[in-house]
Amino acid sequence: MGKILLEVRELTTKYVTRFREDVYAVDHVSLQVEEGKALGIAGESGCGKSTLALSLMGYYFAPLHYISGDIIVDGRNITGMDPDTVRKAVLGRDVAYIPQAAMNALNPTQKVINFIEDVIKVHDLGADKKEIYERARILFETVGLPESVLHKYPVELSGGMKQRTVIAIAVLLSPKVLIADEPSSALDVTSQKMVIKMLMRLMEDGLIGSLIFITHELPLLYNVTDDIMVMYAGQIVEKGTAREIVFDPLHPYAKGLMGSIIVPEEGVRDVKLTAIPGAPPNLKKPPSGCRFAERCKYVQPLCKVTSVGFKELDNGRTYRCIFSEAELREAYQNG
Amino acid sequence: MKAYRKYFLKKLGWFAITFVFAFVLNFTLPRLMPGDPVAAIVARLAQGLSDASGVQAIYQQYSELFGTNKPMYEQFFIYIGNVLRGDFGFSFSQYPRTVADTLKSSILWTIGLQFPAIIVGWIIGNVLGALAAYLKGGFDKVLMPLSIFASNFPAYGMAVIFMVIFGVALEWFPTSGGYGFDLIPEFSWNFIKSVITHYQLPFWSIVVIAIGGQAIGMRSMAIYELNADYVKFARFMGIKDRKIIGYVFRNAMLPQVTGLALSIGTMFGGALITEIVFSYPGLGYTLLNGVMGQDYPLISASTLLITLMVLLANFTIEILYGIIDPRIKAAQAD
Amino acid sequence: MKHTLQQVFHSGKFVIGFVIFVALMLIVIIYPLIITDAPLTIIAQGTFFKPGIYVNVYDSMNAPKYTLLLEDADAKRIASRLTPEDRQAMKEWLIAIGIPDNAIDIEDTAQLLGLWETHFDPKMQIAGMTNAKRNYYIRLNTSLEGLLATEGAIIAAKNADTGALEEKGNVGQSEFVNVTQVANVRVLPLGTDNFGRDVLTQLVTATRVSLQIGFIAGLIATLVGLTLGLLAGYVGGWVDDIIMFVTNLFTVIPGFVLLILISFSIGQERRGATTVAVVIGFTSWVWTTRAVRAQVISLRNRDHVNLSKLSGHSLVHIILNDILPYIASYVVMAMILQISSGILAEAGLSILGLGPRTTDVPTLGLMMNWAMIYQAHVLGKWWAYLPVLITIALITFSMNLMNTGLDQVFNPALRD
Repeated sequence: MGKILLEVRELTTKYVTRFREDVYAVDHVSLQVEEGKALGIAGESGCGKSTLALSLMGYYFAPLHYISGDIIVDGRNITGMDPDTVRKAVLGRDVAYIPQAAMNALNPTQKVINFIEDVIKVHDLGADKKEIYERARILFETVGLPESVLHKYPVELSGGMKQRTVIAIAVLLSPKVLIADEPSSALDVTSQKMVIKMLMRLMEDGLIGSLIFITHELPLLYNVTDDIMVMYAGQIVEKGTAREIVFDPLHPYAKGLMGSIIVPEEGVRDVKLTAIPGAPPNLKKPPSGCRFAERCKYVQPLCKVTSVGFKELDNGRTYRCIFSEAELREAYQNG
Repeated sequence: MKAYRKYFLKKLGWFAITFVFAFVLNFTLPRLMPGDPVAAIVARLAQGLSDASGVQAIYQQYSELFGTNKPMYEQFFIYIGNVLRGDFGFSFSQYPRTVADTLKSSILWTIGLQFPAIIVGWIIGNVLGALAAYLKGGFDKVLMPLSIFASNFPAYGMAVIFMVIFGVALEWFPTSGGYGFDLIPEFSWNFIKSVITHYQLPFWSIVVIAIGGQAIGMRSMAIYELNADYVKFARFMGIKDRKIIGYVFRNAMLPQVTGLALSIGTMFGGALITEIVFSYPGLGYTLLNGVMGQDYPLISASTLLITLMVLLANFTIEILYGIIDPRIKAAQAD
Repeated sequence: MKHTLQQVFHSGKFVIGFVIFVALMLIVIIYPLIITDAPLTIIAQGTFFKPGIYVNVYDSMNAPKYTLLLEDADAKRIASRLTPEDRQAMKEWLIAIGIPDNAIDIEDTAQLLGLWETHFDPKMQIAGMTNAKRNYYIRLNTSLEGLLATEGAIIAAKNADTGALEEKGNVGQSEFVNVTQVANVRVLPLGTDNFGRDVLTQLVTATRVSLQIGFIAGLIATLVGLTLGLLAGYVGGWVDDIIMFVTNLFTVIPGFVLLILISFSIGQERRGATTVAVVIGFTSWVWTTRAVRAQVISLRNRDHVNLSKLSGHSLVHIILNDILPYIASYVVMAMILQISSGILAEAGLSILGLGPRTTDVPTLGLMMNWAMIYQAHVLGKWWAYLPVLITIALITFSMNLMNTGLDQVFNPALRD
């Protein structure tokens, strides 16, 4: 077992809406990421996975608020730290983040190199303009981006190019953990592949210590990650290796999520159908029992009243359901 | 630089097309109305004018200018020719003064009053709006309702209120005219002082109205930008808030420049009515006199000039915008 | 739908705007049921009567009399006839004829009047005094006569036969009438205007007409803007090019210039309230077109629209079912703004003298125009223009608040 770079224990955060309502979008989430490994987080949109990504940074601003739990980065607990220290010492250096809409992740009116200068300067990594330029040039060369990109405004770059530039900047300070929130969802297939390849290369080259990859496309995770967590309504419902979750999901939600992926026909590529009827529960008032109960095919009266804890299998795989492994498998067999 | 020249030429072309179109509208709109315009105009005019030879002169002059007996396209070219020579005909209400003579002075008054006021209002409004978006809390809570109120308050309403408070009640400033009625325009200290005191009330009432609208626009632009993804990314790269605010306000400012280009026509319209309230000797007041005196040539020439000024202002802003926003340059480089 | 409405009414801004607007609407609807006078009837002879309760003097004479013994009655009576300025003026006169300054106390009414009665002589010439000032003193003196008297005033009538005056009654200083028992009392909460018309009744009608103008103008602008925006955004191609060319033209050519030209060309006689509203509507659709087009373009390639296209639905079907519902909230917001700017446009036109013809109904703009022409603001006749301005501001303010409230609900990106 490698060195644990990121450990999260029982992290809970909330959103405060405009109408002063609390939305618990991340509810007692725990996870671990080892050096050299990639963790996938899957779930429908609105299940809290993007909020989890933001919460993992340990740096909170309205409307997101920290409530409880620990985030330990490379042995250092960052939850108790002063926000300014987190900003300077952790962000970008230990933990880096690629936002969901990376297309707009760069300031449109600033040249790429100027932003890189700002990033290096804020971390007090000294360096005059020449050195910074040299460093950026080398990095861009490593990740296979032309040097000319440095002198361009983001609007002058194509979608795929912009995305790769964002990733390059995110790994500028060789972060221990890189959190990528749907980094490829807005791109065409070729660019998607390039982005995925690039992330894998970065891991191999040791430019990033570990990767957390968030997406709603389970099959994609199978190619990229080692372990997968499935998230539903702010909670983790199942955790296991990529192979297990993709080919042998246990939790009815994970099962449904796999079922909802259809191979699209020619011409309808954008169309995605949800095989799971219904919508995630309102997290302003989360249900007291199993949160998936309302939409679950196999729901029992008990599901709606008792809160459900994790069940752990011998191989370390965990899931959150009242049924045993055998019961679930039987149910799936019978359709 | 080549890219910018392309941008410039494109804008210039667009400016020319718009002006031609506006010119055609200015020519055709009154002619679309049923009836013989010259006959109707002279009929109205004859009631007000006692000098019979004056009526005759205007009728002839106007028939010539309009050439109503000729086909429409010919009339149009006659009109163009006259306008190009700066000949807008005689003013009905101030005969025997020509329209060009009447307008000559009012243009200067209008330019001197409105453009500084709109620009000052725009700057103050943007600064306040940006502060409201950034500081939030109490400042925002006080400023925003006031701004919404100011921007919803009709321009003439603000003018009247300013006049009643600072002119009539407090007697700080004179209530009407561009300078003291007992003075003649000249370069003397007395005259300049009088112009400055007469300037204050119309100026500030235009400024306040402009502040309101701009502050609201800037605030929502800034809030929108504050929620943009690049802010999130920059934050998570550890960039200081102050630096991010710098990015945000620069970016929020740019659409505000375009906003100014698009809304300058509307602002100008409101400001013209402010002139009327203060009997300021500009185009708005001239226009009012034109309407009151049923002075068609005066109205037509005023609206044409107003359109031209708005178009020019718009063009200037677009050109400046092209210089300050790298995105335009970038887009043109492709 | 129900949830959306709940959200909308959750927004404080919307609720405030809505309440103000509904209150205005209620006044506009209920007031004419109570006061049925025609709004443009001239009831006063003279201009700008102050707000207040007007009691018929003749009828008061015939109303039942009551005696009320009020301590401050005398003081109030004197104060209403002898203002501090008058007292000061009296003092100046007395000093001018040589009474020492310290012998005059302008607060002591009895002493002041005593000095005045003994010393004032209308024929006396005082150096440096203008004729106007002298006339003022003479008028003042006449009004002061009998101020301290305690007997009542006699009401007399001419004898039809002899032509001599005969005493018909005597009104004592402490006699009162009850307003409710006087046959003719007219309440003019906002006084009268320059033509002698009841400002409040006029204002209520004007508000109704201005709202109607705003609604018609807003409806037309929204319908035109929506149609063009949908066509440009959804159909695209050369349709989009043409529509956007025209829209860009009219964005830059100031709308009010067109408004002025068209209104003037129509001529005063044919410019009814509805005509003005229609003209305003047809000169202000550009913003809605631009906005709707932008929204439609962002919707055009959404999954549900593509699905609908694949299912072979017609253009009209797709626009009605897959596009319109998504931009409905936006269109409603745009329309609210169009209504309020329509009301402002009417007022602006009217101030220029290009508003609706003045003979049938008042509008807020026309009221403002009349007040300005008759210099109400310079003369301090606030009731002729301030209520109009406040009404305009309340209408636009309430609409803008509702709009902002809706915006917060439907565009969560604009959080605050």
